[in-house]
Amino acid sequence: MNNKMQILNLTAGFGDTKVLKNVTMDIPENKVVTIIGPSGCGKSTFVRCLDRLHEVIRGAWIKGKVLLDDSDIYMDDPIELRRRVGMVFQMPNPFPKSIYDNVAFGPKLNGIRNKKSLDKIVEESLKKAALWNGVNDRLKKNALSLSGGQQQRLCIARALAVEPEVILMDEPTSSLDPVASAKIEDLILDLKKRYTVVIVTHNMQQAARIGDFTAFFLLGKLIEYGETAQIFENPKDKKTEDYITGRFG
Amino acid sequence: MARKALEEGLNEIRNNTIKLGELTKEAIIKSVESLKNRDIAMAEEVMGLEEKSDIINLEIDEDTLRITALQQPVAKDLRFISAMIKISDNFERICDLAEKIAHITIKYKEKKFLKPLIDIPRMALVITEMIDIDLEAIENNTSPSVDKLIEKDDLIDNLYIQIYNELISFMIRDPKKIDDATDLLFVARHLERIGDIAAKTGAQIVYMVEGKRVWIK
Repeated sequence: MNNKMQILNLTAGFGDTKVLKNVTMDIPENKVVTIIGPSGCGKSTFVRCLDRLHEVIRGAWIKGKVLLDDSDIYMDDPIELRRRVGMVFQMPNPFPKSIYDNVAFGPKLNGIRNKKSLDKIVEESLKKAALWNGVNDRLKKNALSLSGGQQQRLCIARALAVEPEVILMDEPTSSLDPVASAKIEDLILDLKKRYTVVIVTHNMQQAARIGDFTAFFLLGKLIEYGETAQIFENPKDKKTEDYITGRFG
Repeated sequence: MARKALEEGLNEIRNNTIKLGELTKEAIIKSVESLKNRDIAMAEEVMGLEEKSDIINLEIDEDTLRITALQQPVAKDLRFISAMIKISDNFERICDLAEKIAHITIKYKEKKFLKPLIDIPRMALVITEMIDIDLEAIENNTSPSVDKLIEKDDLIDNLYIQIYNELISFMIRDPKKIDDATDLLFVARHLERIGDIAAKTGAQIVYMVEGKRVWIK
């Protein structure tokens, strides 16, 4: 099992506040890693450190290393990094443009102008995001006319269009109904064949269903990280057990 | 208390399993006692206990399914649920075996024993001690002493071998006694099997409490 990313002694925060404390963990290639933990434990900050979105916030700082294919991401160009490491946020956030333009946006930024090439990328990305069959006859319609679940899948298609290697997802189904959530979960399981996925979730059952590995964060520390079945059947740390069984606090 | 409904549900399952365990002990004691005293009324009582054990086991089965569907237990709660499903089945199975002994009592009725019943009641006594160890562990959510359970199970196995050899020699000496001897042999065999189940129950409790697998032969 290859490690796509390696996080080494990662500490991060804002001003005087330390949000992440000395986190070290590996993200295996073509696996789904779920990040769980109570609100304020540093989950979102953690994933935002993996594509350097954390540093764009005023007062944010970071120490330690994040390696992507053994290369320190903080030594490379952040724009190029974000092409390789895509992000899908909690609320679907399509641009107020057509479905087609949403997906073609990234490739166009990367300099692809050829209509045929763009058409192909849009179709393939929408297919990978399991949205093509629902929208192929209305690609020029405004993306905001789609349902919440479809908008989220469009955001995933948009992330896939720039051919990333890692996809980060920050609570991607928390604003969706169970049917739309189930479709996204199926999609995530399908995506891991080609990509490495890191997903933050508050939903324990979701973590159990889709994660190959699960990491439990508490007060900025990585408390336990292991195979999902082990974490949910037989956690090693009492704090993990208290959290996942709902007896935390 | 966090997750009050889950805690209450788990406690109910725990209490019901302990109730089933106590009933199981009563069934074993009464089945052997009824045989020893050829007490038909007591043997019939054992059959009533077996019926009750079916009902309690079914209740536990339904409660565990409902709590799994509604509360999605994980980690120690999930191990608890899985253990209770198996342990309540174990107790119910022991009650079935006690009922089989009660049937032999009814068959025996006025007949004289080939020999005084000494080792069979001893086996029953040791079994109740094993079930006590299991029940105490379930009640306190602590691991039972596996060594003690193995030691007692070995004692039961030795008593069974002793009874087996003795009864075979009766059969060889007097083939007319084969029918009676076989009945007693079945009683001893049922008790030996019950000892195994009581020991394995202990291993299931260890997994429930510690998440660690221990194997008892």
